[in-house]
Amino acid sequence: MTDQQDQPGATRSPGATIADTLRSDAVPPPQPLLEARNEYMGDSDIPFARYTDQAFFDREMNSLWPRCWQWACREEHLQDVGDTYVYDVGRYSVIVVRSSPDEIKAFLNTCTHRGTRLLGYQGGGYSGGFRCPFHGWSWQLDGCIDNIPGRWDFPHVSDETHGLQPVQCELWGGFVFINMDPEAAPLHDFLDVLPDHFQHFPLDQRRIRLHVQKTLPANWKAAQEAFIEAYHNFETHNSPNGGNAQYDIFGDFVTRFIHNLGNYSPESLVDYPGEKFREPVMTEDELLRSMTFFGHGKSEVGPGETARSVAAAGLREQLGTKFGIDLSEVSDSIMLDSIEYHLFPNMFFFPGINVPMVYRFRPNGMDVDSSLFDFVILEPLSEGATHPEPPEPHILDVEQSYTEVEELGWLGPVYDEDTGNLALQTQGFKTSRKQGLTLGNYQESRIRRVHLTLDKFMDEREQGASNE
Amino acid sequence: MSDAVLLEADLPMGGIKVVEFAGKEVLLGRISSGIYAVDNLCSHAEERLANGKLKGHRLICPLHGAAFDIRDGSALTRPATKPLSTYTVRIENGEIFLGEPGKENS
Repeated sequence: MTDQQDQPGATRSPGATIADTLRSDAVPPPQPLLEARNEYMGDSDIPFARYTDQAFFDREMNSLWPRCWQWACREEHLQDVGDTYVYDVGRYSVIVVRSSPDEIKAFLNTCTHRGTRLLGYQGGGYSGGFRCPFHGWSWQLDGCIDNIPGRWDFPHVSDETHGLQPVQCELWGGFVFINMDPEAAPLHDFLDVLPDHFQHFPLDQRRIRLHVQKTLPANWKAAQEAFIEAYHNFETHNSPNGGNAQYDIFGDFVTRFIHNLGNYSPESLVDYPGEKFREPVMTEDELLRSMTFFGHGKSEVGPGETARSVAAAGLREQLGTKFGIDLSEVSDSIMLDSIEYHLFPNMFFFPGINVPMVYRFRPNGMDVDSSLFDFVILEPLSEGATHPEPPEPHILDVEQSYTEVEELGWLGPVYDEDTGNLALQTQGFKTSRKQGLTLGNYQESRIRRVHLTLDKFMDEREQGASNE
Repeated sequence: MSDAVLLEADLPMGGIKVVEFAGKEVLLGRISSGIYAVDNLCSHAEERLANGKLKGHRLICPLHGAAFDIRDGSALTRPATKPLSTYTVRIENGEIFLGEPGKENS
């Protein structure tokens, strides 16, 4: 179980691999799910200061957030001309707007006269144009000046100098991405395998079913790292199936895990405490029953079947009817599994049908110890259907429970378990004599990848700035 | 003669309509939890809110983006700080009747 001396990071959990399981599924997966790619990136500790120090937070605020691509909203938030979405991250605020039937634009949310924030809210809104509440300067939806009261006093002002300040804006997967850096390379340069892989499970053909935004008591990186591995499943969720999850590093910007539901490998838990899930090993019928709350509607695993194949078949029927789409060709893995792609720095996309989430983590204002977690369920849209108006987000404060959001169902307690460790972790960061967190070479490799890319990203941009 | 302000069928889910009541423009909006009625003029700069949009329970002014909760008229975002007046809504036989809070006819 320990790394071989000459090949650190090459050791894997005992027991069946994800690829073994996927190859034996009744309906096989698309090619991208059979890819496996990981690399050893070192085993040094990650300093706690990266999560707790104001100086590091400030550096991110200067060299990360205003320079990186991040999704602000879904295209379905901007259906009519004038629909707006205000996206705040740290000290920055960006307006995204459907400026014409065929165009979405983005601007910094600030008046070009004396700097006042133009739209006070966050999230979805509507504007006939933009008008500053201070002196009434106004702009059209395309950012050009509409009117300046007392124009005679401003002969030095024109659209060139005082139009709203544009923000780069691109679409992918039904998401509207923004980048405040006018010099930033196109979004595509940062997506690695995502466009290729998600051809198989297009996210633009989905709609927002549910959006929950919660304040979490931890730095944005600690918060997202609570969701980036399945190693915690045994202890945090009392669940057997994190031990043999697969972790992929596709490049500097995109990583993935695949974590099977409906089966597990008892061997992967050999040195976990107690004999739970090993002695006795769960039967296929027990595994099927453990997934009853998904609503697969099946009660028994027949000869030649597995809990996975039965649950997947049940979900194809149930969810196919519910969504009005044909799921007959969709693989067991896409139907069931928790498959999670991470896009640097703070975004997660799940191609699954039963586990169809999107996450985004970002600083909560300028508080180094607090973050905002957007949790979105993206449900498949029946063919030819238009996107309905998205539901309003449920806003949960730090002390509120996910179980207060009834629509979350079985997911509510799971997310309470996930986020329940964060306040303790933040406290622990600050009391530790040891200076950093230690990572598993494989299971926690995605955490290391993000930190390495964060350093590289900020270094390059700071280097560029000092050369100018 | 009925003093109904609108037929219920003429106000679709998510829709808004302006009617005249008690000498004022009143905005009716329908969301999943019911039909609500508030002043049509923004409490901030008196823009007609019917030129804005209803998003869930948020009624949004097109001028500065101020949002009000259509259910109780409260101002949710700046620059609006004062609430909108609200009206009681009664539906009988598919017709919508309004009343002023605290008055007999409500």
